[in-house]
Amino acid sequence: MSKAMICSCEDVTVDDIRHAVSRGFCDVESVKRYTGFGTGICQGKSCSAAVAALLEKEKALKPAAVVPFTPRPPLYPTELRMMASAPVDESQPPVGGLPQEVDAFPAALRPEGPVPAKAKVVIIGGGIMGLALAYNLARAGETDVVVLERGYLCAGASGRNGGGVRMQWGTPSLVELAKRSIELMKGFARELGINVWLRQGGYIFLAKTAPVAQRLERNVSLHNRFGVPTRLITPDEARDIVPGLTMKDCLIASYNPEDGVIFPWPFLWGYAQGCQKRGVRVETYTDVTGFETSGGQVRKVKTTRGDIACDTVVLAAGAWSPQVAKLVDVKLPNEPHRHEILSTEPLKPFLGPLVSVLDSGLYFSQSMRGEIVGGMGDAKEPAGLNMGSTLRFVSRFAQALMEQLPEVGHVKVLRQWAGCYDVTPDNNPILGRTPGLDNLLQMSGFVGHGFMMAPAVAERMAKWMATGESDELFTRFNLRRYSDAAGHSREFGTGTLEREDMVIG
Amino acid sequence: MRRLPDVPPRGRAITVDLEGESLPAIEGEPVACSLIAAGEPMLARSIKYHRPRGPYCFAGACSHCLMRVDGVPNVYACRTPARDGMKLERQNAYPSAKVDIFESIDWFFPKGMDHHEMFAGVPVAEQVMAKVARQLAGLGLLPKTPAPVTAPARTVRTRVAVVGGGAAGLAAARVLTERDVGFLLIERDDALGGRLANGAPEAGGPSLDDIHRISPSSVLTRATALGLYDDEAGRFLAVGTWEADAPRLVKVYSERFLLTPGGHPPTLPFENNDLPGVYAGRAASLLLRRYDVAPETAALVGWGAELHALANLLQERGTKVVAVVDLRDTPPAGAHATAVRGSEPKAHGLRGVSAFSYTREGGGREKVSCDAVLVSVPVSPSFELARQGGAKVPFDEKRGLFVVETDADGRTQAPDVYAAGDVTGGGTAKDAAAAGRRAAQALVGGLS
Repeated sequence: MSKAMICSCEDVTVDDIRHAVSRGFCDVESVKRYTGFGTGICQGKSCSAAVAALLEKEKALKPAAVVPFTPRPPLYPTELRMMASAPVDESQPPVGGLPQEVDAFPAALRPEGPVPAKAKVVIIGGGIMGLALAYNLARAGETDVVVLERGYLCAGASGRNGGGVRMQWGTPSLVELAKRSIELMKGFARELGINVWLRQGGYIFLAKTAPVAQRLERNVSLHNRFGVPTRLITPDEARDIVPGLTMKDCLIASYNPEDGVIFPWPFLWGYAQGCQKRGVRVETYTDVTGFETSGGQVRKVKTTRGDIACDTVVLAAGAWSPQVAKLVDVKLPNEPHRHEILSTEPLKPFLGPLVSVLDSGLYFSQSMRGEIVGGMGDAKEPAGLNMGSTLRFVSRFAQALMEQLPEVGHVKVLRQWAGCYDVTPDNNPILGRTPGLDNLLQMSGFVGHGFMMAPAVAERMAKWMATGESDELFTRFNLRRYSDAAGHSREFGTGTLEREDMVIG
Repeated sequence: MRRLPDVPPRGRAITVDLEGESLPAIEGEPVACSLIAAGEPMLARSIKYHRPRGPYCFAGACSHCLMRVDGVPNVYACRTPARDGMKLERQNAYPSAKVDIFESIDWFFPKGMDHHEMFAGVPVAEQVMAKVARQLAGLGLLPKTPAPVTAPARTVRTRVAVVGGGAAGLAAARVLTERDVGFLLIERDDALGGRLANGAPEAGGPSLDDIHRISPSSVLTRATALGLYDDEAGRFLAVGTWEADAPRLVKVYSERFLLTPGGHPPTLPFENNDLPGVYAGRAASLLLRRYDVAPETAALVGWGAELHALANLLQERGTKVVAVVDLRDTPPAGAHATAVRGSEPKAHGLRGVSAFSYTREGGGREKVSCDAVLVSVPVSPSFELARQGGAKVPFDEKRGLFVVETDADGRTQAPDVYAAGDVTGGGTAKDAAAAGRRAAQALVGGLS
């Protein structure tokens, strides 16, 4: 069959690129994500220029808006065993990262024309939180909503995570939210017309130290109480589920067969399309520059494309939330922490569940496309909006993965990247009204697991906003919990805050 | 493709094993070259549509030649030296690459597919599709045994790291040698020269003599720059090398990075541009000049000086050139006798190229029989390292390429990163050498 291939690694045709443009994906990063061009073995070496030239020729983009997608290391597929040979000094914090890209969107990508002069609700942040909320509001009849996103959809943590979704949490609130989210994910394609490739291959948590083992043991009864079928398994049983897994130093493991992995990007596109169909405006490449307040209320949101007068503002900017809150003199306790991740060459299916070693923060799974996708937390990582990649990470990860699964030594890394966890002092989110600014609603602080919580959180929040009915979620996780009655910061770890201890990394 | 007759062999005659069949090869040449010379141009099936694939770029810049080699999946056959008895398997086919039932997917989706919308939300179909997709996804199989451990990474410090030993890199290395500035030249190939050694010869182009002026201790060959990272000790290149035939990672810290990596042979979108037998122009000149392998009958398509130089080179060495289609310009004086301006190129054939057709300017559709279609267009700059290092990479509308932005002396906006040659937008080898010299002179001036 005759086809004109533009990206032969991923079998993307010229017609596929045109189709993506017809669906509204015009910038290079978005076309890459929608069609998959440049995500294969060659990482765009042979196709980038051809795709860019086509987008420019067909007027999908102005010439100044044609920028290459970020070239990720390694530049050639490189075996994990070679990466593992780089020296790492675990006693030192990681330094640097390539390339620094926190403020890299050219102005030429900004849509022409102003944003609407007023809206009932302005949502800051076009990640899964903001988009899911906007969609749920629209479904409840509130369509006078504008979502502001500083980059393309998927530019932040929602586009950078590993796609793991699990119900194995340490606190009732999160178990319940995650369970509901996975239910919603199962019906996502039916509701929004786009596949999200949920594959319930389970999650296996391995414990190598006694405190972690105790945590897993304690959680099983909590999970079972909520109808989550987690069970403790022996190292031998874990090996039956994942052949080849070494269980050195492993004390015990927990397994929930209903956890799984999804493909993150289509959630954003699906919610965004669902919003737009109902009249909600989703404005990409639009920055928030300030606020206008009076009488304890936010009156206007200022953007690079004009001001929006509004009744309610929702801050759902993930790791960028503290920075945005600062513009209106609200101090959030969240801190961004870089988490690095990588993806390998695609292999035929061999790995069912996502496997995580809670003690070291190692996790890995196999994506629907066959890549091993995984990461590993770094206890020494300093706070900061850093999304650069390091050799240190890829080396640490490769060493840890090869220890757990020795057959992967020859498997080649295709690309590494990073995103930011939005870390709060108690590993729990910040939701609800802002003390002193009643119509500024917080929706951040999800510590790297916001993606899997978003469908359920957004459903609850939209209902709470639309009906005014009380919901304990928005009092339990209110910003107030971090300060005492006099407004002073509380000492953390004094037992007043319930801490989530099942965060990977 | 065939080995040229009456040419003395360049190495020891050996055999390699392709799925149980013993095929002749020359030791040390890229095994993909051995296979096509032995009449096996189809090396793989593509990831989604299971289309037949053969090597295209011979530069590790596409994915057409990935094979399972001695039990390791997804290995570039175009960059793997042939060894006696090595075991080669084609991937992603059932029951075999020659008869692959999943080829039918290609017919079900004549224009392409949108896997995001396909069966989305259709009860049962959705679940079945997810199961099938998972089984069909992926290329190779996980290796069956653990890999040998790699030797610990080595750290090297130098004043100037030069990436790429082509026209620009060699000219720069010569300047650094003359000025007695310590440098390390990193070359991906097993020999220096780039297009001076492997491309179609350019009239008035620089000679390869500079190679002999460079101290071998300043050169790393078979060394691939993987990224321009930084850490507590400064900026460094992570370089994947081969030492004593084993892989080794080398960290190269340097005061300046002079990036002269040239470009990648790009894809030119036209119908069946991925058929086995379609090769990048620079692949064809490499095969001919380095390994004495060439098509019997070739059609050429593309634009630029290299296209016409390649046609003449092939003709001289005995290939029958049946069409040279310039998609942009009227062929220059001295172009091959068949050269015309044309459009809408198309390759024909079932498992490999058997013919080529195009629309002749001011005329109708023409079709010629051939065993290879050679795509010669200006290379796509290898801007990746420069972008990682902080250089600007704008889109050059006229050329239709991303280029690294530099001043006349190769300075990028990152103070320690310089770039020269094809990476800044291409041109002749002579231009590249001049740019390499200027950049080397400029960066030496800035060294303390």
